[in-house]
Amino acid sequence: MREYLLPKEEFRTVFVIGKGGVGKTTTSAALSVALAKKGYRTLIVSLDPAHNLGDVFMVKLTDKPKKLAENLYASELDMEKLIKGYLKHLEKNLKNMYRYLTVINLEKYFEVLSYSPGIEEYATLEAVREILVSGNEWDVIVFDTPPTGLTLRVLALPRISLIWADRLIEIRRKILERRRAIAKIQGEQKFVVGGEEITLAKEEEEDAVMKELKAYRSEVEFVERVITDPDRTSVVAVMNPEMLPLYETERAYESLKKFGIPFNLVVVNKVITLEKDIPELRVKLDAQKKVLSGIEKRFRGIDIIRIPMFAEEPRGLEWLEKLGGSVLEG
Amino acid sequence: MQKLKDFLKGFGETFKHQSTEYIEFEERELENVFAIILMGSFIGIPSPPTTLVIRLLPHMTRELYIIQRRAVEMDDILGELAGLFDIT
Repeated sequence: MREYLLPKEEFRTVFVIGKGGVGKTTTSAALSVALAKKGYRTLIVSLDPAHNLGDVFMVKLTDKPKKLAENLYASELDMEKLIKGYLKHLEKNLKNMYRYLTVINLEKYFEVLSYSPGIEEYATLEAVREILVSGNEWDVIVFDTPPTGLTLRVLALPRISLIWADRLIEIRRKILERRRAIAKIQGEQKFVVGGEEITLAKEEEEDAVMKELKAYRSEVEFVERVITDPDRTSVVAVMNPEMLPLYETERAYESLKKFGIPFNLVVVNKVITLEKDIPELRVKLDAQKKVLSGIEKRFRGIDIIRIPMFAEEPRGLEWLEKLGGSVLEG
Repeated sequence: MQKLKDFLKGFGETFKHQSTEYIEFEERELENVFAIILMGSFIGIPSPPTTLVIRLLPHMTRELYIIQRRAVEMDDILGELAGLFDIT
């Protein structure tokens, strides 16, 4: 049994990453079926906007976890719904606060906001956070992720967001320091806008901006702590025995290392084994051989397993359990 | 007597005001910078995490007001500085 795929003290989070079309969804589905069979309460979540987790299980999935078998639950994130709901809530909030402010045309802004670059990453991170917050309901949470690029961005976000939050807290602190200094001499500072008089906050505990900054920081820090903890998180990379997926996996390995996220297993999927020689496939087989021999050198100290190309698509629970068993057992 | 009291009070107020003039200026500038960093995407500065920005926005009434006033007074920033340092 591979220890890093099982829960230790708390629940285990497994991110299955890889280039598009290499078999991430199948691998993560197989892994979660095998885990559930072993008696671990397992949740598999698809973060990929191009959902096909439901296709692997041959059921329709929604954003609420659906029970597929004993101990096995699955859900697909509805990104559009997530972003819409999120913006709607904010829009309502903002309109109340700014009804007297005409500087920015809020409606227009919000129309644009749902298309703003990066919003998907942030929404994904937010969704991951929500799942992790109630992670104790599960023994193992398997994330089937979108193709490498987006996933790496999402996994890097907590660290980047922490830097932003820290810098903004620093500036805010300076502002509050000045306010305190002024208030000491002049008394409470009032600020009138739109006919309403607001007393300027000068302590960190009463300043809404500071409170929000700190709340945000602690939320992000929680995600950061979970995904960088080798006892709680593992990344499994899926690739095909070809050059490009190999390069991509290598790059993913390097950047995950930089962000301190534990990378434990490479699954080489769709390895072709032929009994007799087929000339048309010779080039492909040669390339495969090269990748397979190079792979061990490149990922030293990391488990590597090979999964053969099957004669039929591995779909349905039985197939998945068999496949997942080989990933889990080694 | 009352007049003298008022005069002294006014005198004191002026001193009080003068003593915090620089800090007030500094505070306004910091608030302006804070708002500009958050709203940077309006003017092409890379912005902090969108989530954070939209969560802070509802509490930023004063900063937005300052940023707006700052923009209006932009052409007389030298005037403000001159006033601050008593250059006439």
